[in-house]
Amino acid sequence: MRLTPLATALLALASSASTASAAGGDAGGPPRRVVSLNLTADELLVEMLPPERLVGVTRWADDPEMSNVAGRVPAAAERLPRADLERLIALRPDLVVVSEYTDADFLRLLEKSGLRHHRLSGLASLAGIRAAITDLGQLVACPGAAARLVARMDAILGELARRLDGARRPRVLYWSDPHTAGADSALGSLIEAAGAVNVGRELGLRGIVPISGERAFVADPDVVLLTLGSGAAGSLRRHPLLSRTRAAREGRVVEMPNRLLVALSDRAADACWWLAARLHPSLVPQALPAGGNR
Amino acid sequence: MSEPARRRLVFAVLAAALPLALLSALSLGSVPLSPLGVIGSAAARAGLGAPAPLGDVGEVILWSVRLPRVLIAALVGGGLAVVGASLQSLFRNPLADAGLLGVGPGAALGAVIAVNLGWAQERFLALPLSACAGALLALLLIYALAHAGGRPSLSGLLLTGLAVSAVAAAGTSVLLVATEEFRVRTVLFWLAGGLEGRGFEHAALAAAFVLPGVAALFLLSRPLDVLSLGEEEAAALSLPVHAVRIVVFGLCALVAGPVTAVAGSIPFVGLIAPHALRGLVGPLGRHLLPASFLAGAILVVVADLAARSFGQYVELPLGSVTAFVGAPYFVLALRGQEGRE
Repeated sequence: MRLTPLATALLALASSASTASAAGGDAGGPPRRVVSLNLTADELLVEMLPPERLVGVTRWADDPEMSNVAGRVPAAAERLPRADLERLIALRPDLVVVSEYTDADFLRLLEKSGLRHHRLSGLASLAGIRAAITDLGQLVACPGAAARLVARMDAILGELARRLDGARRPRVLYWSDPHTAGADSALGSLIEAAGAVNVGRELGLRGIVPISGERAFVADPDVVLLTLGSGAAGSLRRHPLLSRTRAAREGRVVEMPNRLLVALSDRAADACWWLAARLHPSLVPQALPAGGNR
Repeated sequence: MSEPARRRLVFAVLAAALPLALLSALSLGSVPLSPLGVIGSAAARAGLGAPAPLGDVGEVILWSVRLPRVLIAALVGGGLAVVGASLQSLFRNPLADAGLLGVGPGAALGAVIAVNLGWAQERFLALPLSACAGALLALLLIYALAHAGGRPSLSGLLLTGLAVSAVAAAGTSVLLVATEEFRVRTVLFWLAGGLEGRGFEHAALAAAFVLPGVAALFLLSRPLDVLSLGEEEAAALSLPVHAVRIVVFGLCALVAGPVTAVAGSIPFVGLIAPHALRGLVGPLGRHLLPASFLAGAILVVVADLAARSFGQYVELPLGSVTAFVGAPYFVLALRGQEGRE
């Protein structure tokens, strides 16, 4: 992307400190007290770390509608209702795992407070999720656990690809009034790995972006994918145009549990399998393959 | 009580309340710190006592997180209140404030550009610097457009500001719609106003504009007093009306823009503080401006303390706290003014 001279000058004025993969604080030795500030890291760290090393997770980690590790989070880990820096410092973590969207000013304050941080990034694709799991595993000195998560993910996705080989791919539109998923989005990758064509990508969209009702209607998807319990099904039924799409009229609407839709951990493979089982019921059974069970 | 005695009392109360508010804001929060410990820690930094009386964690919270935040709150509040007082004199309207300047929407446009392009996630200070640039560009645009057809009247300046604000707000809306869903939250939090995650660099950015800007406005208090008599009267007293107006307008925008860039939208502070004080210390700028600075600083320091103390799951937006207090005050003040008229 080209920057205007003004933007270049502005950025030159700003500190050149971009956020490194893991930055700030004392980086000596593997972290013993890890805090997660996002749900994906909650899920990964619960799987990877011995319980005593996970000292803080988001409050969403215990919510069975949002989290794939609800009920398995160590009781002693602090539940953080928000990214409250003061509470974070009081936990004395030696590693804080933040999300791709955490802004740089917050990260600088973490560093100034002596806290080392790691940004989970590249989660817009299954390959990126694999790499993020491996990186995090290395950083918390649990490469074996990370490798097991990646192997499980690969086992599910490999079996899925084998079963879907040569299958006709339905055209799926994700719709969360008014947003859809285009290219370079985890949801788009999920749709494609589940043996479907992502209508958002067909339309030239990138990321999670709004789509007009007219454009979605004209795209005429085979299936509409919604978030279960989000009210999107009601919105679809009431929408003057989308309610008239072939998919809506013929009942080809799939409502996916939120915990699977937002899963950017190894559970993204579970989400792919879940969706594939609804799109290709004759090819993919509901139950995960043998290598996918924990 | 005579007016000078009342004025002295008001200044004494404000001068005592500000350190108290600062100490409370430094002591209270998610992790409470002992006020004596806070004082002891400050003394230790000055080489006057045992080091680290708050313990390692308390010291980090106080010096890395809470102190810059509280300093920014004081600068923001003081700056906005002085801007409000100056604009109330300039426009001869006791209900004027920084919202009239048109720099807020410019700052918002700068902020949303920084988020949309990913700078806010990648570069330290990119968001406040972009917002600051947006505010200053809006100011330049307002000035250039207003002067395109010769010297503008005060209403011409205001209406040009309104037009530039509308364009900036439209640009913000377009970009918000085009911004990825997860990034929009960053902008929304900024637009709602707040000081979470601000450090000493943000305080320095605010101070670099607020302190000289406020000092310059203090120096202009006499011309402002003359201007508040009316343009004809001011001109009759040999005041260069247009020059003073432009300088005051520019200084107000130079303070309000960076303040908005650092803290987001913090409404009503510039209205409440000077409006409430005018009856107590009198309308003269040399009294009203410093008193407004102190009162504005106290107001925002306390509002920020409330914002971070009430919500467990989310920190309340600072702008919402000042609006909850300011909007009823504004309605009452408006009715009072209409009653007097």
